[in-house]
Amino acid sequence: MSFPAALHTEWIKVRSLRSLVGSLLTVPVATAGLSLLVCAALGRPEPGSTDFDPVLFSYYGLNFGQLAAIIFGAIAMGGEYKNEGIRISLAAVPNRTLFYGAKLAVIGGSVLAVGLVASLISFLGGQALMDRGFGIGIADPGALRAVVGCALYLVLVSLLSAGAAALLRSVTGALSVLVPLFLVLPFVVGDVSQGGGAADFLPDRAGRQILLQAPPGTLGPWSGMAVLAAWTVLATAVGWWALRRRDA
Amino acid sequence: MDGDAWGMTRIDVQELRKEYGTTRAVDRLTFAVEPGRVTGFLGPNGAGKSTTLRILLGLDRPTSGTALIGGRRYADLTEPLREVGALLDAQAAHGSRTARSHLLALAASNRIPVRRVAEVLEEAGLAGVAGRRIRTFSLGMRQRLGIAAALLGNPAVVILDEPSNGLDPEGIIWTRELMRSLAREGRTVLVSSHLMNETASFADHLVVLGRGRLLADTPMQDFIDSRIRPRVRLRTTEGARLRTLLLGKGFDPVQEEGGRWTVEGARVDDIGPIAAREGIPILELANEEGTLEQAYLDLTADQAEYASSRPPQTQEA
Repeated sequence: MSFPAALHTEWIKVRSLRSLVGSLLTVPVATAGLSLLVCAALGRPEPGSTDFDPVLFSYYGLNFGQLAAIIFGAIAMGGEYKNEGIRISLAAVPNRTLFYGAKLAVIGGSVLAVGLVASLISFLGGQALMDRGFGIGIADPGALRAVVGCALYLVLVSLLSAGAAALLRSVTGALSVLVPLFLVLPFVVGDVSQGGGAADFLPDRAGRQILLQAPPGTLGPWSGMAVLAAWTVLATAVGWWALRRRDA
Repeated sequence: MDGDAWGMTRIDVQELRKEYGTTRAVDRLTFAVEPGRVTGFLGPNGAGKSTTLRILLGLDRPTSGTALIGGRRYADLTEPLREVGALLDAQAAHGSRTARSHLLALAASNRIPVRRVAEVLEEAGLAGVAGRRIRTFSLGMRQRLGIAAALLGNPAVVILDEPSNGLDPEGIIWTRELMRSLAREGRTVLVSSHLMNETASFADHLVVLGRGRLLADTPMQDFIDSRIRPRVRLRTTEGARLRTLLLGKGFDPVQEEGGRWTVEGARVDDIGPIAAREGIPILELANEEGTLEQAYLDLTADQAEYASSRPPQTQEA
């Protein structure tokens, strides 16, 4: 049983499901599309405000793009469990670690590709569309870091979602945990506008520090990304444990 | 390929046990499935057939015991689809994929040449609908797709769980012929079913389960013969004379309504020569063959008796 063969299979599975192709393409469309729209419409500091961050402005669409990445990861992994389809997959690739690794690699790789496109368009297009004088270049502080960070962020949340789907063996199960975790909890646990506290360590807050030119709070851009990565490692490890341990 | 080409392809189940909580789905099950014949895997729903097959395919972990194919665990096979083809549940294929992509994905994982996908689709009669989404398929078409998937790697061992579920009569005949020809080619063919007449039409050998235990592991004809006494039905113009004659030979002919006679425990070979020797005219003479269904019901009746005559188990604390 070879890893390239398992990868090939997983890639065929992704490209042969409309829901997967659709959610994967929604990642750059939503991220870049909405970012450009917001930069074009509102790309200037509000009068009197002092914390205008042109980089963060460029990634407004990530709020929606991340959902597509979460959905993609959940369907790619959780879809296997529909009607016990996992049995067919595991009969073909009985080495569960190999199966799981290939699945995660294809999810991560696909999201990395579309994520980089989304990220570059969001940044370059967004900055170009901002009101004259406010846009910055890729060589400016925090810019390149954010471009890479946005793509990494999308990869990590899609894998986090895939891990949850493997643990819960269901697409809806994964989404009903992850959507609140990303969209509701940050508002409940802490005031989003202020740094500090437990909310900083939630996956979305931590992972998005990298999109700020000067991140406030306990976590820096890369330590924030490391916190998100830790969440992802935890979820995928638990998913792997569940897949290996349980009867299919 | 000829019969010798398959090598070691015996299925060996040894002391297999599977417990779910306190339920014992499979209980110290031991049997072997030999190549070159179709083995019917019989038992009522819930007897442990599917559980055994899932363990055999490395999907479920046994509580104890082993289930080996060609001496190896399924999970240890390098490219399992090339050695073992299985249909477990026709509904399991993802409905949003086309039949072709479903098979392409399977083929890629075991490095099976892409041309096999078209070949098995053709063989299963699905070539015309290969590009259609599986969710538009009838249950019968899904069964055909499942069988196509099982044949994809040209495996020496074929395992089918209730393959005729939902099939139309034509499909049932196709499956039966397919299983028989796979066995003729020297492959090991294990087919589970809860339908007796169905199984009788294709199986050479039977493995019968009840409540997770092995009830029988015998050639099908032996199974029937051992359980069902042969019986002869005849009509004659000289009933009284024949009766006396047969009583003398230890048979006990009974006259039925309409003048027909039945002789329990006899075959036509016993009766015919006797009547001929004595010049008794025979108008009709036929064996009443036991059916698999009768034999199976006889077996399960024994089991029920056994189960109900056991003293009630003491309740565990």
